[in-house]
Amino acid sequence: MPVIVAGISHRGAPVAIREKIAYRPVELVPTLAALRDRSGAREGVLLSTCNRTELYLVEGAGDALPFIWAELSARLGEEASAYGYVRRDREAVAHLFRVAAGLDSMILGEAQIHGQVRDAWSACRSQSGTVLNRLFQTSLQVAGRIRADTAIARGAASVSTAALQLARQIFGSLTGRRAMVLGAGEMAELALECLAAEGVRTAVVANRTFERAVALAARYGATAMHYEQCWEQLAGVDVLLCSTAAPHPVVTADHVRAAVERRRHQPLCILDIAMPRDVDPAVRQLENVYLYDLDDLHAVVATNLERRRAELPAVETVIAAEVERFWQWLAGLAAVPVLTRFRGEMERVRQQELQEALHRLGALPPEQRAVVEQLSRSLMNKFLHGPTVRLRAAAANGRGLGVIDALRYLFDLADSPTRDDEPVLPPAAEAARTTDDAQQGEP
Amino acid sequence: MIAIAHFIAITCYIGAAALAAVPFARPVGAPVRGVVGLLGIGIAVHALALLTFAHREGAVPLTGLGPSLSFAGFVLAVTLWIVELIAHEVTLTLVAAPLAALPTTFANVIGLTPGHEPAGVRGLWLFAHIALSFVGIAAFATAAAAGTMYLVERRELRSRRFGPIFRFFPPLATLDRVNHVAAIAGWLGLTLGIVLAAAYSIAYREMNVLQLLWGTGAWLCVSAVALGRVLGRWQARRAALYSSVSFVAVLVLYVAFRVAGPGAGNFL
Repeated sequence: MPVIVAGISHRGAPVAIREKIAYRPVELVPTLAALRDRSGAREGVLLSTCNRTELYLVEGAGDALPFIWAELSARLGEEASAYGYVRRDREAVAHLFRVAAGLDSMILGEAQIHGQVRDAWSACRSQSGTVLNRLFQTSLQVAGRIRADTAIARGAASVSTAALQLARQIFGSLTGRRAMVLGAGEMAELALECLAAEGVRTAVVANRTFERAVALAARYGATAMHYEQCWEQLAGVDVLLCSTAAPHPVVTADHVRAAVERRRHQPLCILDIAMPRDVDPAVRQLENVYLYDLDDLHAVVATNLERRRAELPAVETVIAAEVERFWQWLAGLAAVPVLTRFRGEMERVRQQELQEALHRLGALPPEQRAVVEQLSRSLMNKFLHGPTVRLRAAAANGRGLGVIDALRYLFDLADSPTRDDEPVLPPAAEAARTTDDAQQGEP
Repeated sequence: MIAIAHFIAITCYIGAAALAAVPFARPVGAPVRGVVGLLGIGIAVHALALLTFAHREGAVPLTGLGPSLSFAGFVLAVTLWIVELIAHEVTLTLVAAPLAALPTTFANVIGLTPGHEPAGVRGLWLFAHIALSFVGIAAFATAAAAGTMYLVERRELRSRRFGPIFRFFPPLATLDRVNHVAAIAGWLGLTLGIVLAAAYSIAYREMNVLQLLWGTGAWLCVSAVALGRVLGRWQARRAALYSSVSFVAVLVLYVAFRVAGPGAGNFL
């Protein structure tokens, strides 16, 4: 059983559990090294984010699963398997592809996980090998292709980005626009950060507690002002973002009407992300005013997510094809050690027969000796070329695993010593071999 | 050959509009390259048809009902193509490409028969008048298309519907800018065209009342939009509404004059 992933994620574990199991970057390699020692796993990568902790292993001779749960349970202080999941083989490969593409994320199609998968793989490079390196590299490529070719990552998927999407749909680029933020709380700060990232030229922060407005404005190069002064500035603002904790509307239709008249028909986008709402709903009736509250922003997000969900069949088709391709590569890898031993054995026989023939021929001039040597090498290569190519192809398409066993049997390769770094058969190969063995009844 | 080329051009225009509509039906991004490319092919084939006509008939395709309608469709398609290349927006194709296909189709149906065309300076004068007038009308049509889209999108945004129009239409500011620039370009083109026409009428003592009425009506409409935007500082919604309504009025007036007026083989 070569590839296994086990872990916990937001799907089965609440944040109280996830935060206990999460690993810091410096802990990844020591944890993996110890786990590999205990379980005999050949390779490992540990992916730990705020939403998931997963261990990807290429197993050795034994089952690594009990050791994974033991590790996670020890960290959690209780049985971790109750919150977790296990995927093996093709399912494990498909799982990583889904994770990297954001299909398993809390917000479908989110892009941050792509970088987190890449970082986890980079951090664990000393513990990964041929199989996991290829697996993680492929997963990043597949995720990139999915993002580019499908709409799985298109459209705003959070309230703050939905607010920006709405403002952009009115003004186009927000670069150089003026914005005002009412309130200085956490949501206001998040909004200000988003606006600054969009290139909003002047941001004004108004708050009842002036000191908080000053502190927030200083962090983002904005201007702070007293609450009472902001209405005079409203006429010069394109985007008004409201996020106060006031229990009643603080932005009235009179405030906005006066500002809109002074703006000479320029549109004003008002984003009310406060609960309860900061803006009087009557403002919506004013000409050139585009007022959106939390329900509207959630509706934008829901529409976008629905659209992303509609892409799932197309994404799953891509993943299924890529899993199959990866599995073919892995199966092809299974033929490598057998072929290496087979050719080694043939080379040994060639050398033996060559020495015997040269001994019988007596002292030959060097050029004649070279001709004989070349003849033997050339004959061997020609005899082996066809079978080698066919064996590789058969192993890659998963139909030639019986052929590999036949080769082992016919040339007595089964008892050859196995190198520690030798690739192992994928489970399909093991299963097929068992079937083939049963059919052959040998050995 | 000319009819086949027209048919290919019409197919490209309609195809470009259909391609621009794909994001409204399926979750894909705007196929900007495809739309611009298809429109470009249509324009090239259309230009080939008009050049072949000019070569065969020994006359520019500006006089006669069929040639002038075909030329009008061609100029509108070229205007749309330029706007799309500049704005990197292809949703305008949804409205403007069928507008270009329509007169081209009529031209192909009725056949391209050249009208009477004076020679020498007089011919050049007439050519300049017709070409500039068509450029003005094409720009006016673009302003109307942008205005219509502005009104549709504004209604969606005000009523907080976040469907395909919200996702795929250009921002309101972009549509407003296209309407503004196109209205001014339309006014310039039509003003120059009408000035040349007036001078032509005076110099050669030749006047067509229907052409005079329709041209003046179209000029008044586009002038109102352009001056309203520049001098009156009309708000975007009013400009969009007026440009759309007045362009439709100009089209209706043209159809009415065509039906009621004499001269079956002429533009008017």
